[in-house]
Amino acid sequence: MKSSLTFHKVIVGLLVMYLLIPLVGTFLFSIAGKWDHTILPESYTMDWYIELFQDERFYDAFRRTLFLIVMSVGLSVVIMLPTIFIITVYFSKWEGLLQAAAMLPYGIPPIVGAVGLIKVYSDGPIQIAGTPWILIGAYFITILPFMYQGIRSSLRTINAVQLVDAAELLGATKFQSFRTVVFPNIISGILVSTLLSVALLFSEFAFANLLVGGRFETIQIYLADKLNSSGHLTSAIVITYYSMILLLTGIVLKLTFRNEKNPVGSNKKRILSFFKKKYCNKNTAIEGEK
Amino acid sequence: MSYVTINQVTKGYENQVVLNDISLTLKKGEFATLLGQSGCGKSTLLRSIAGLEGVDVGRILIDGHDITNLSPRQREVGMVFQSYALFPNMTVFDNIAYGLKMKKVKNVKSKVKNMIDMVDLIGKEESFPHQLSGGQQQRVALARALVMEPKVLLLDEPLSALDAKIRKSLQKELKRIQKELDITTIFVTHDQEEAMTMSDRIFVMNKGKVVQSGSPSEIYTSPVNTFVAKFIGNYNVCNMEVFHKLVRSTELKGNEVAIRPEVLQLVSVGEDSLDIQENWGIKGFIKDVSMTGNVLRYEVETEESAFLVDYLHHRGEMFEQGARVQILVPKKECIIL
Repeated sequence: MKSSLTFHKVIVGLLVMYLLIPLVGTFLFSIAGKWDHTILPESYTMDWYIELFQDERFYDAFRRTLFLIVMSVGLSVVIMLPTIFIITVYFSKWEGLLQAAAMLPYGIPPIVGAVGLIKVYSDGPIQIAGTPWILIGAYFITILPFMYQGIRSSLRTINAVQLVDAAELLGATKFQSFRTVVFPNIISGILVSTLLSVALLFSEFAFANLLVGGRFETIQIYLADKLNSSGHLTSAIVITYYSMILLLTGIVLKLTFRNEKNPVGSNKKRILSFFKKKYCNKNTAIEGEK
Repeated sequence: MSYVTINQVTKGYENQVVLNDISLTLKKGEFATLLGQSGCGKSTLLRSIAGLEGVDVGRILIDGHDITNLSPRQREVGMVFQSYALFPNMTVFDNIAYGLKMKKVKNVKSKVKNMIDMVDLIGKEESFPHQLSGGQQQRVALARALVMEPKVLLLDEPLSALDAKIRKSLQKELKRIQKELDITTIFVTHDQEEAMTMSDRIFVMNKGKVVQSGSPSEIYTSPVNTFVAKFIGNYNVCNMEVFHKLVRSTELKGNEVAIRPEVLQLVSVGEDSLDIQENWGIKGFIKDVSMTGNVLRYEVETEESAFLVDYLHHRGEMFEQGARVQILVPKKECIIL
């Protein structure tokens, strides 16, 4: 018994090390001064971060990325939420069609998609190739599967169809029943889908580079550009960027735990079981170190 | 004077008929049950009355008003679902008050309080649905429907998700509340025992049609066809030719004969207590004995077919498996189908 427990701890420890070493290395490199022929850096400096945070281009890129994300995710919620709700509750025979449409982005590699998009939108009535707007459109499609699955399974978990039936029989209009009965019960599901989409779009490079490139520099394009100039600076960007993602993940986790106290929809737990597992692993690792 | 009228309602999905020309009427304050196996159309009929499903042909009237084309919220009917359908984000109080708030009724608080009192949920006002037991949740669902003072209360298998004991006590309570409020109620179930205990009138449905309607005892003692006889009370249904052979008499005419298991009696072969004026006798042997607490059920194999014979489980004489017996069939209890 005891030896098998030790064995498990060793495995988990190795796994955590495997996952953390690149990150720790990157972090060390981002604060390293001279680091040539020693295991740990010979000197430490915050210069790279200072340089990064003093670079106007970084802030601009960050702002642009934020703008793109808020626009695409916001648009996605505003359009997809009523669409999925209406199809699920009132036109269930078309559900298959919506599902197929939502899964389509998985089938098209970004490179192929980008070339097609450039061709279609570089002339004709809508000439938006090379502008951020085409990127918002592409991002909308990219996060479609996440939004669809998240909202759909939230609706299914609370049995939205029957709740709407019950509310309507009690005198609510269709809109009232959505607002007072369905929406409050799927809000945390929507939030989780939203945060996952944000995390995904933060690290999106292929579409951004192919569709707009340097004309609308996002954080990923900025990162790629800096990769050629200074490794230290790139590391600093990666660590900053990783901290942002960690923060997002933390928020998602917190939402999940709040759901457990008030178990309205258990589906979010399933979506986030990945995160939770990661979290649990870390706990085990800490115990193992004692 | 009929309060609820369903007039020649027909409904189908694609090429399947779900409701086939159904007509029925209910008096005010009546407790009616739609009884049938799953898929017989009873729930669809209930949902059509609620307005959650449309009908292809026919009309539905409540209190003299044609409601066939009204939306659910305009129909003034209340409904309780099998899976309760409580709003998970609201407390018991808010769940019950929901309809009143939507209709902007005054005195919400006192009305909800009265209702909570009636369904015996005092002290649970601030609980959320997931903190309640199944039985309690169903009480909330009932209160939520009743507080609106609906003209008709629709119950879609409301007790079938509960365990036997809670179910029995909720049956009684439901009946008490229904009588107290004198509310016209349509109850859907597939459990014939539940239908018998609760209803003033039962409508037995099969394949989208009402095959028989009447009081519970009418339905039980005089089924109109083989389906009702078998579904309602474990009747022994026997082909007439076979029956003629067994009793050596052609006195009865018709296609089939149905006999309830509890009117049959068993006597040992040789014991000569057969009153040939009143009874027929059929020889056989005990193939199996089973016991459901208060009832002993004998399966008696005769030369042509098997019969079920029910006895109350008295202390005393019991027939052993394999014993040769004679079944006494009272002539006046034979129902010709």
